[in-house]
Amino acid sequence: MSLSSPLISAKGIIRTIVPMTNDNHLFEFSDSSGALRACKPGQFVELWVPGVGECPISVCSGRVGDTIQLMVRKVGRVTSALFQMSEGDWVGLRGPYGHGFPVDKYKGKNLCLVAGGLGVAPIRSLWQYVIDHREDFGKLILIYGMRHSFDLLFRQEFQLLLRRKDIEVYIAAEDTAGPEIPSLTVQLGRVTDMIDLAPISADFEVALCGPPVMYKYAVERLQKKGIPASNLWLSLERHMKCGIGKCGHCFVGGRFTCKSGPVFSLAELNLLPEVIECNHGGI
Amino acid sequence: MNNCFVLVKELFEEFFALLQARGVVYAPVRVSAQSFSFRKVDSVSEIAFEALRTILPPKKFFYPQQETIITYEGDTIREHEPEIPFQILFGVHPCDLAGFGIMDTIFGAEPADNHYRRRREKSLVIGLSCMPDRHCFCQSMGTECPRGGYDLFVTDIGDEYFFSVGTPAGFELLQSARELVSAATETHRDRYKNFWNTRADSFTNGFSPDNLHSVLDMEWDNEIWTELGQRCLSCGNCTPVCPTCYCFDLVDIASLNGESGERRREWDSCQFSGFASVAGDFNFRPTPVDRLKFWYRHKLHGFDDPYGFKTCVGCGRCTVSCPAGIDDLVDVVKRLQKSRERVSHVTK
Repeated sequence: MSLSSPLISAKGIIRTIVPMTNDNHLFEFSDSSGALRACKPGQFVELWVPGVGECPISVCSGRVGDTIQLMVRKVGRVTSALFQMSEGDWVGLRGPYGHGFPVDKYKGKNLCLVAGGLGVAPIRSLWQYVIDHREDFGKLILIYGMRHSFDLLFRQEFQLLLRRKDIEVYIAAEDTAGPEIPSLTVQLGRVTDMIDLAPISADFEVALCGPPVMYKYAVERLQKKGIPASNLWLSLERHMKCGIGKCGHCFVGGRFTCKSGPVFSLAELNLLPEVIECNHGGI
Repeated sequence: MNNCFVLVKELFEEFFALLQARGVVYAPVRVSAQSFSFRKVDSVSEIAFEALRTILPPKKFFYPQQETIITYEGDTIREHEPEIPFQILFGVHPCDLAGFGIMDTIFGAEPADNHYRRRREKSLVIGLSCMPDRHCFCQSMGTECPRGGYDLFVTDIGDEYFFSVGTPAGFELLQSARELVSAATETHRDRYKNFWNTRADSFTNGFSPDNLHSVLDMEWDNEIWTELGQRCLSCGNCTPVCPTCYCFDLVDIASLNGESGERRREWDSCQFSGFASVAGDFNFRPTPVDRLKFWYRHKLHGFDDPYGFKTCVGCGRCTVSCPAGIDDLVDVVKRLQKSRERVSHVTK
């Protein structure tokens, strides 16, 4: 049967569920359509829990094969229903959608990746991609900030990243309480403090993903370091309900976040109203 | 041009019978002293030829208020493909035809929406000329004359109906009516031109659209939005009545045993308070001011995406259906344009 409706999902079976924190689980799904192999860093898929609804979830791995990993936070109706499901249950998946991080533009350049909270999931797809193609890129700096150190996601993976010589990792939490296992060096502070600390210069391309409130301050600090708006790439959060530029829920100004974004350069965003993530007109 | 024909009005009954032979005919019907609705008609006498704007625009025939998109049973997911009877829409005015053009573009853009397309393809659209009332401003939006979206367009030129052909399907329909119609003569053409000239002079409502785009850009922070937004009830009336409002919600309806169910598409409104909210209780447009301003900008400034076009067709439905009386688009545009004339620092 040909799946002709763009709104129809392919079946995905839950293969594994790895709890990273109480409310953040890493789900791995089999992809019966094979369409998700085309996922690129920063893109998203629509996850459907039959009988409940769909929600957009960012791709969180640099490469998608027979299975796809999605980091899901239990925060709404659909994700709460997903948290009730078990390995072997099925969900619907469709995608990939949107324009992710422009990895081709990043080639040969120095890169700084900034993640705040759950924003680490899409940023993970980018660092994994860059590490997979390490020789194509210059310096790589990764900044990750969160409220509390026990919210830290991908703890094991960060331990390995911290040992690598080809990536500089800065992790900050506003509050810490240890010890947590495995232990990681976490600095007390915010993403903005790490931006001040890290050796980022004007020639860097910077990819950011985090809560709306983070962008305003992070962008300010990055611009202070001389990074032009065209080198700052923000992944916007909106409710991308259909994912295909029809339902209108994700409009930002007159653009569909799901089609033109979710990743936009600050230079593009400066031309749009309704972008609460940044101060407009800052040159 | 040989694609213009005329039909003597007395023969319209017979023409209507030809339409009925092809499918279900829908046309404006009077439903109250002052309102009209596109309904199924079985005889010519039911058709309200005088109707201007119907309560809902005819978008509902291609994009129903509620439709099942997907069904599932056990672990089998199926696209819902209902049998769609052939439908003929008669009496669609230029503003609504322009609305079709915009809907066609949105739903036709890749990945194309086949639910919309299936209904669109199973339809024949016959446009009908009209004379503007005090709320019509299609002239300002550039949708005054039909430019497409119809198979046939009918202009009332007095004793006859003047047919312009829009598509091969429309031509084919006229061919089947060749006993009834005849080629338009010079006199008919003159009367046709006269009608459209008179119509163009009959508009009492409108604005100069030249600076619309830049005015909307410049006046994003105008106090008018707060004033109107504070009176907005967020009822969402302005969106279902709009010929180009296409926003929808996707809803799951599960059976009681949870084994089967369907996924439905329903019209949604950007004026509803939760429209732009995301999980975690964050709302990107928390107040009526934010939502109203967004809607106005989308209609009058249009897309920033490659589509580029504005999405208002000047039908006046939002104006007449707003219970708070704040959706007078023409008045709002004029006030915004007035703000442009006010300069705070006089430069010489």
